[in-house]
Amino acid sequence: MTTRTNFKAYSSTMMKVFSQDQCQELVLAAEEAMWRTGTDFYDKESLEILKKAGCWVDGKRVRIPAHITEQALKTCQKHVVLCNSRTGARELFVEGNNAYFGSGPCTPFTRNPFTNERHRATRQSVGWATKVLDALPNIDYAMSLGIVQDVPLLISDRHEFEQQILNTDKPIITVCVDAWGQADVIKMAELVAGGEEELRKNPFICLYAEPISPGIHCLEAAQKLVMGAKKGLPTIYTPCIMAGGTAPATMAGVMVQGLCESLSGLVLSQCAREGAPFIMGGVYTVLDMKTTIFSYGAPELHLLLAGLADVAHYLNIPMFGTAGCTDSCVIDEQAGIEAALSIAMTNMSGANLNHDTGYSEYGTTSNLDLVVIADEILGMARRLTKGIHVDQETLALEVIEKVGPGGNFADEDHTLEHIEENYAPRLVNRAARNIWEKAGSKTLTQVANEKVRDIINHHEPIPLPKDVAAKIREIVENAVGHVPGEDE
Amino acid sequence: MHTTKSNYTRANYEVNQTTQWKMLSDDQCSELYMTTMEVLERTGAEILNKEAQKVFEKAGCWVDGNRVRIPSALTEWAVRTAPSRVTVCDRNSKRALRLETTNAFYGPGQNNTYVMDPLTGERRKPVKGDVVNTGIVCDGLKNVDFAMSNGLPTDVNQGFAEVHAFEALVTNTTKPIVQSIQGVEQAQAILDIATTIVGSLKNFQKDPFVMFLIETEGTLVHSDETLKKVMFAAKNGVPYIYSTRLIAGETSPATPAGAIVVALADVLVGILLGQLVRQGTSVITGGFFSINDTENGILPIGATEVSLMGTGMANVLRYLGIPSFGFAGATDAKESDAQMGLEAAFSILHEGLSGTNLIHGSGQLEYGLTGSLELLVMSDEVIGMTRRIIKGVEVNEERLARGVIDFVQPGGHYLGEEHTLKYFRDEFWWPSVLNRTRIDDWTAAGAKTLGQRVKEKTQSIIKTHQPEKLSEDVLGKIKVILDRTGTV
Amino acid sequence: MANFEELSKSVISGNLAKVKKVTQALIDEGVSPLDIINLGLIAGMGVVGARFKNGEMYVPEVLVAARSMRAGIELVQPLIASEDMPSAGKVLLGTVKGDLHDIGKNLVGMMLESRGYTVINAGIDVSSEKFVQFIKEHKPDILAMSALLTTTMLGMKDTIELMKEEGLKDQVKVIIGGAPISNDFADEVGADGFAPDAASAVDLCNRLLA
Repeated sequence: MTTRTNFKAYSSTMMKVFSQDQCQELVLAAEEAMWRTGTDFYDKESLEILKKAGCWVDGKRVRIPAHITEQALKTCQKHVVLCNSRTGARELFVEGNNAYFGSGPCTPFTRNPFTNERHRATRQSVGWATKVLDALPNIDYAMSLGIVQDVPLLISDRHEFEQQILNTDKPIITVCVDAWGQADVIKMAELVAGGEEELRKNPFICLYAEPISPGIHCLEAAQKLVMGAKKGLPTIYTPCIMAGGTAPATMAGVMVQGLCESLSGLVLSQCAREGAPFIMGGVYTVLDMKTTIFSYGAPELHLLLAGLADVAHYLNIPMFGTAGCTDSCVIDEQAGIEAALSIAMTNMSGANLNHDTGYSEYGTTSNLDLVVIADEILGMARRLTKGIHVDQETLALEVIEKVGPGGNFADEDHTLEHIEENYAPRLVNRAARNIWEKAGSKTLTQVANEKVRDIINHHEPIPLPKDVAAKIREIVENAVGHVPGEDE
Repeated sequence: MHTTKSNYTRANYEVNQTTQWKMLSDDQCSELYMTTMEVLERTGAEILNKEAQKVFEKAGCWVDGNRVRIPSALTEWAVRTAPSRVTVCDRNSKRALRLETTNAFYGPGQNNTYVMDPLTGERRKPVKGDVVNTGIVCDGLKNVDFAMSNGLPTDVNQGFAEVHAFEALVTNTTKPIVQSIQGVEQAQAILDIATTIVGSLKNFQKDPFVMFLIETEGTLVHSDETLKKVMFAAKNGVPYIYSTRLIAGETSPATPAGAIVVALADVLVGILLGQLVRQGTSVITGGFFSINDTENGILPIGATEVSLMGTGMANVLRYLGIPSFGFAGATDAKESDAQMGLEAAFSILHEGLSGTNLIHGSGQLEYGLTGSLELLVMSDEVIGMTRRIIKGVEVNEERLARGVIDFVQPGGHYLGEEHTLKYFRDEFWWPSVLNRTRIDDWTAAGAKTLGQRVKEKTQSIIKTHQPEKLSEDVLGKIKVILDRTGTV
Repeated sequence: MANFEELSKSVISGNLAKVKKVTQALIDEGVSPLDIINLGLIAGMGVVGARFKNGEMYVPEVLVAARSMRAGIELVQPLIASEDMPSAGKVLLGTVKGDLHDIGKNLVGMMLESRGYTVINAGIDVSSEKFVQFIKEHKPDILAMSALLTTTMLGMKDTIELMKEEGLKDQVKVIIGGAPISNDFADEVGADGFAPDAASAVDLCNRLLA
């Protein structure tokens, strides 16, 4: 019997952008910025909370002493779980190096999968999108893929959530327009979960807010963050920053700027309620200096977020990343390239909860064909990230000896036992040319579009109990919109 | 410029100067290597060349008919004595490819039976003019580091197709050339042309600009012709690539670990023979890994497993200190679409991250049956993105931008900062064919897909790029060689 | 001796110190202030605009060039009666109420200035009342409003309505922009035009004032 010791194996690919020392340096630089420069909070309650906790408040400007930041890093919850909305089953472990993927929110426009028309997102388009997300095996949670705009805009978030909860049992990340909207959505979620306690115990929703870079925590963002903390619901805080525009042009400077904003949000959440589950988000990219777009396909986006994942792991806090998106206006070769690079990098970085699959046109228009293609790329990336398993069985020494030089392994038991470890594509085409031509010479995007239509026409999500759906309808119908910037 | 100034030196500070990426741990690499040596010692390889058998026997191998079993000590000697770095020059004897450590260089492929005519879009057998175009396109692309023929010409004396291909490349690009050879006779003709260009064999050996590509038959069988080519290259001091072509589940076990063992056993035979013929011979090794897709009856070249096994092999070769040869930038798609984009991007990223030294295959379409210069041009862009990603993030006092962040203040912007002006060009990657214009401008410019823009760029390179010409004198001498060898 | 070409070149390269120096030298030499602006400063900026359009210059460089031009103009300004100051037009610029997004609007301002417009920046979170107050105070040719959110873009309509009530809509053209804005939306709220980005905002202003 062979035994051995001191053998270290990689059971996945291993990737790092920053060393431990560099992670530390970035965090300390962010702490310096949080104290020396500070950030602005536009919400009165937030200012009071921060002042009471020992931060230096001067008007809107809040300077956060390093020890408070470090305390917040200690107290925030490291183990965050998102659940199935119908069963409460604990499904997504948003922690460590686990990487989950889903769609993005808030695009003003979408492309109709049947007409290819680019139009403003509607109740119907969000419903369709959610159905597609529900049906795809590599998509782990749902975001709306559009702002519902065929309803009064100030209460669009309630309609959005209704469409989502009706069409999927996967966890939902919800982006509300303001604190009132978020309160209504939480109310609806509590109805589904069976009460406030139940929702907190097995949360199936995750809240979302974002600061305005550089260094502004607007009223809505701060209020949503505080509410999430008080409710004990996981809350994502995502600076969307562009190198050279709202952050320094150097990638290291972008990291500092982004961390400064994220960690200021973390401090607010922990000061509002110690131990609140906080997820550090990020869309760090470049401002394209020719066209001034906020790029969703730049290689810097993938690099910066892989770097942010290193910092998140160093800090041991959950992270919200970005992948599966493109600057291309159509789902062409470029969309394939940008989605593949971002998904592969993000999956290998071990960022936990990753959004924006399905974003085309630099994040302006959602596209369901791209979601289906991203689902396939996710399958590929997950196979590759699993790496190569090396042991006596996989090394196959006996089989190699048995087959011998020039032999064929096709009929060996060993081959049959292991062949299914290969990734079996569902969408990409490997057929011989004549077969492919006979089937209509379809491009990948055409095949993906057919799948989207098929899902919309035939997929049946697990329904919500009728009485719950009715109560949700009631909340949507009674929702009251508030003018942006309005307080109390 | 606004920087924080403090006078310090820092101790014990470890940085990731580039992105870090690995598939296999050193222990796993070691185990794969040990297992391989066990295979060579126990199972051995079929050696179908008498002279090679004698060389192996004299060195202490156990020869039994054609079966040669190699003692581990001898394998280890060969790995030690084979150089861990090979520098390949350009046609002007300028040092170009430093094949060592994790330097990654990219180029096209060559096993395709057909080509896509870049001007008409017609799919047809390649002619010499296609290889000329390949030379011009390789020469004109910034991120393509070496040239390969992208198919062998069918309109020339078939016995000397490689010689014609080489002539077409060497007269149209100054970049290093990876050249396959049919046999020793053709190898001699190619070497004669190469030495004519640089003046003498000695000059060529000092600053080689051609590598011979020698492909094995797979699964531990080495044919008479293959081994002759190895001995020819070793005797003449021509760097050669000993490359395996492996199908997991057919010519090797289905498990990636087992596949790497067989591949390594295969190539170590070619390395050992070279070292025995002439100790210190420059050799690069690796190959192309695929899986047995029985459903479609093809060998996929865009599959995840191609990158999975390829990068695993690269890790082992890095562990052994032997320059590596890999495969990326190819697709199973039949025409330009999102599948082409995502498969090419996926493999280019991973091969680049693994630091495979010489990466070929960009431009291979339709599971390798068809060569496409358009895909090569598209890959050039993806290689640029990948290079930005693997370059990583530089972290230092000035790039952390703490002073700039404080100067700009929350709510400000960085557009006109001196810091931005100093860094935005170098820190950002600049696209050439990817679209970042807004949808209105993109529509006004004809709403072209990336495939269409790439087609235009390819045609423009072919029509306008002027590679550096060889002198009339040298061209005359090359003609004499072609006449003498019966090539024409 | 200082000359216009040198001044233009200094503007193109964004060399603020040199622009100031050359402008001052020209003033000291008694060159007509209007010529300094038209043949030196604005001429240089014209080159910058053209190069940006061709993709030969980038946003940070345009911004620095515009900044240096402005420094030159500030030196010349006191020498010219305000009604004689050359300007392509006056634009009032702001982000609507409830919205703190700033960068897109700043890009528009920068591009407009670089093409000879006088820009009054009303800032962020600007209410309809404030916009109207600014209009009365500065009498711009164009009001340019920005919004990044679908919730705040409604503020554009409110502002236009209020302008109508105050009888200002006929005197001032209104253009709007921002990620959720489209041509349809511009028509719906009664704006005179929509620009998807900073460069096209300049073209739009040129068209509206032609």
